[in-house]
Amino acid sequence: MSTANSYIAELREVTMQFEDKTVLDDLSLKVRPQDRLVILGQSGSGKSTILRLILGILQPHEGSVFFKQFEITRLPRRKLQRIRRHIGMVYQYSALLSSRTVRDNVALPLEELTDESREEIDKIVDEKLELVGMKDSKHLMPSELSGGMRKRVSLARALVLDPELVLFDEPVAGLDPVMASVIDELIISLSEKAKVTSVIVTHEMDSAFRIATRMAMLYHGKIIEEGEPKKLRESKNPVVSQFLTGSTEGPILEGTKDAITA
Amino acid sequence: MPTEESENASPIIPANPVVVVQGVGHLSREFMREVGSLFWFMVQTLEEMVERIRERRVPFRAASFFRHCERAGVGSVPLVGLVSFFLGLTMALLTGYQLQRFGTERLVPGLVAIAFTRELGPLITGIMLAARIGAAFTAELGTMQVSEEVEAIEAMGIGPLRFLVAPRMLALFLLMPCLSTVSNLAAIGASCLISRAYFSIAFVYFFDLVRDALLIRDIVTGVLKSFLFGLLIGGIACYRGLTVKGGAAGVGTATTSSVVTAIATVIGFDTMYNIVYTVFFPT
Repeated sequence: MSTANSYIAELREVTMQFEDKTVLDDLSLKVRPQDRLVILGQSGSGKSTILRLILGILQPHEGSVFFKQFEITRLPRRKLQRIRRHIGMVYQYSALLSSRTVRDNVALPLEELTDESREEIDKIVDEKLELVGMKDSKHLMPSELSGGMRKRVSLARALVLDPELVLFDEPVAGLDPVMASVIDELIISLSEKAKVTSVIVTHEMDSAFRIATRMAMLYHGKIIEEGEPKKLRESKNPVVSQFLTGSTEGPILEGTKDAITA
Repeated sequence: MPTEESENASPIIPANPVVVVQGVGHLSREFMREVGSLFWFMVQTLEEMVERIRERRVPFRAASFFRHCERAGVGSVPLVGLVSFFLGLTMALLTGYQLQRFGTERLVPGLVAIAFTRELGPLITGIMLAARIGAAFTAELGTMQVSEEVEAIEAMGIGPLRFLVAPRMLALFLLMPCLSTVSNLAAIGASCLISRAYFSIAFVYFFDLVRDALLIRDIVTGVLKSFLFGLLIGGIACYRGLTVKGGAAGVGTATTSSVVTAIATVIGFDTMYNIVYTVFFPT
């Protein structure tokens, strides 16, 4: 069922279980064009699962996932592969191919999926690496890079096919504050200049509020609060305010708190 | 002491026939599921390749294919050659001494030649490749799987099966027959030396005897078998690698399981092949 859809990505009443644990429970989420949607939530609450559902790597147990007008959950593999070219993903641990150099890693989607000549590929790779400030490391292997550098290369790789939607899994975790700001600004400029939509999963509150045009808070498999950053900051929901302040007092740790403070 | 242990353990062995049947059923279901997944894994790899060719693009880089060929094929020549050479020596020596008592040591060249081209060449090569290359493939793909590299490839819209699995499987499929030929030649060469040294069979006479004994169908059988073994070893190794779960320990378990499964499968298929062959094409 492909109905006209003005959203870039949409999750409709998605339920996701891993063995007996329900990770997402009847969750609905919409990503509008040029949104920079930050998904907040505790570790293991299923934030990365949402990204994998949008990519079609995981299949929900119930509900459906859309990318523009395409229903990801019903597409045959070949069409899904075509759709994925319009989505870039930056992994938490970079997921660079360890047997290829930085240049080859970034060039991989171009080499495999386009008909560009070698010169053109080199040009695009240089351009994208320049964007993330990694042009000098072109000939290094991923194992020779620091975590932050790998993440930047991973970002360059995600951008190489000029995607419409970029998914970020913890883009600034483990980066120094300056580099984190650089990545944040890059994400902002991507949506402002290149009209890229982004979905960002993060724990870093500073970075989240700097980037976000919209935020969603995921708790116990549901979106409990969604809206502009201002709305979340002023939220009366005790879970949201506890999460944003990082306080140990509140509903999030209920039941486990005694064990921690004891 | 094992006897004491088994005595102690005997009360918990489920004596109830229903439980036993259930256990057997459960095991066979798991087994069938594995066989099924492996089969579909290979079919899907082929499908991805065909789809890619239909789009008029190469399914994988030639460079990647040749790199695997070099590692799996050229790199295995010394090991396969050496082991087969020694096996050929031993076989010629042992059978020769037995046959000498009846004055029929002239049968040694034919015996070794037939045994290796039809049976031992592909089998020994298969076992060695499963251990040497199958293990490497599984560990490599398993590590990629664990570090999310495979998922990243998939997320880019590149089919991981055609990109990672196809060149590896094809390299093994095509090089297995070449390596069994190396194995055959090494063994025949070795038995030639032994025949000359111990049983006074001249080199020229040796090759006449081999040529008389060896039929084209022996050679064809061996080659066909080798193709099959190459495909099985490659398929099992890559399947085990891509289905790794649970970090570094998972890669270790998968690698062991890959080698064990591949060797058992090669020997099993060899037996089946021989049965089918003797039933349908009796000599």
